[in-house]
Amino acid sequence: MDFKSFRKKSPWILHYNTGSCNGCDIEILACLAPKYDIERFGALNRGNPKQSDILIVTGPVTKRAKERLLRLYLEMPEPKVVVAVGACACSGGVFRHMYNVENGVDKVIPVDVYVPGCAARPEAIIDGVIKALEILEKKGKEVELPRWCSVEVKPPVNRVKLLNRCLEELHGRRRG
Amino acid sequence: MGKRITVPFGSQHVALPEPVRFVFQTENEKIVDVEVDVGYVHRGIEKACATKFKYMQVGYVVARVCGLCAISHTLGYVTALERLMGVEVPKRALYLRLLVSELDRIHSHLLAMGHTAEVAGYENLFMQTFRHRELVMEMLELLTGNRVQFDFACPGGVNRDLTPEVEKVLREKLKLLEEKALWLKDVYENDFSLALRWKGIGVVTEKMAKEMNVVGPPARAAGLKTDARAEFNYLPFKEVGYKMVVLKGGSIYERNLLRALEVLNSIQMCWNVLDGLPEGEIKVPVKGLPEGEMFVRIEAPRGELFYYIRGSQKLVLDRVRIRVPTFSNIPVMKELFVGMDYADVPATVISFDPCLSCTAR
Repeated sequence: MDFKSFRKKSPWILHYNTGSCNGCDIEILACLAPKYDIERFGALNRGNPKQSDILIVTGPVTKRAKERLLRLYLEMPEPKVVVAVGACACSGGVFRHMYNVENGVDKVIPVDVYVPGCAARPEAIIDGVIKALEILEKKGKEVELPRWCSVEVKPPVNRVKLLNRCLEELHGRRRG
Repeated sequence: MGKRITVPFGSQHVALPEPVRFVFQTENEKIVDVEVDVGYVHRGIEKACATKFKYMQVGYVVARVCGLCAISHTLGYVTALERLMGVEVPKRALYLRLLVSELDRIHSHLLAMGHTAEVAGYENLFMQTFRHRELVMEMLELLTGNRVQFDFACPGGVNRDLTPEVEKVLREKLKLLEEKALWLKDVYENDFSLALRWKGIGVVTEKMAKEMNVVGPPARAAGLKTDARAEFNYLPFKEVGYKMVVLKGGSIYERNLLRALEVLNSIQMCWNVLDGLPEGEIKVPVKGLPEGEMFVRIEAPRGELFYYIRGSQKLVLDRVRIRVPTFSNIPVMKELFVGMDYADVPATVISFDPCLSCTAR
């Protein structure tokens, strides 16, 4: 059976804050509330990475949030899309080159949709999620890894091993 | 007695909009020990304010400490800078700042109330509260040009004037908001099942509040008379009819009821500002370089916010120190959790309205 067309109908959202100012996070909350109501596209906010299709990331990725972000990303099943919400998630924004930040989500995990704005407006966030749905429909089951990551993936994938190898490389990179 | 079980709460959790980590040690349903970790969102803003940004830019950077109380942070910094450099701010600018600061308080309080209702299992009430909160967001957008990060206050005044057309719409929306806020207060005060769920849970006594240095709505709900709006003269609150709301009890129920009452008081202040807005300039130029040190206390929606700045005739300040309300409220939270049922934890955490991006900066 072809699940591709059904997947688009009920995308579940996982939201993670990697050091943003809460501005974008309350706008995401406002998206879930009656006026903007993202639920009309079937999207629900569920805090479980193993059931989610869309990862919404806010914030410039602090050094401590980096590992958690990678962990959440790798725990999500394929196909998945990543939406970076807000100026600081796109490029670091006002926090760019501060000593504890990584200057944007795409330095750690691959990003599919960038939503600009400080703070991003709810309309923009909804538009980003809809764009992400189009990408989600085209994506297959192959594992997508960050650019810096040199781990080779061969099916069938052992996810626990993959997660551990990626985390090892992240820690090695930090030391080196 | 059962075996000890470790229950992690965070850093990523559906009830939390931001990362904080609590590790609970539980015995059966009772919590016996708790560890708190708030450092996930540390970005290094204080350091950057003293190295990267010029003193005129810092106001816009510290606004990004927290998106919920953005005006409070900017207000704290610009008030400190104006007092340090001896700038006399026009009266109209002060009143406009007060208007935005109170609207910001309303939206933050409604968010906290709605969120507490959600984690206690009242999703319907959460949706209702958020629906009425959108009115405030629309008003803020009309007045300042952005929904969340508005950068309204700047050194020497405010960035945008209130035009008569905007004032007309503001009055209409404020009237509607007042009706809705009265209805919300009624629900939060008289709803039978809400009271059953919240009364007597997570009680902060007045003695505890005093000893543990609790600030903001949790302290006032416990009966402690503390409010920087009454104690520190940074905006003309007395002229626009500010009344301190103090309740007895200190449980989750009182904290939310107090927020509802403060929202009503804030709406009254907004009416008074709109009625008696003085004419004149909205901005004066700031010249020279800051020298010396200054501190101010601001009442942010979550409690007392403390700003300290020091300059020495340079474009870049020597030090910017921020002490935020949530930081003062964490010790009492830790005290409360020990001996509490695990099921009451999320509602208790959210009823303190913690702001971690403020705390870790």
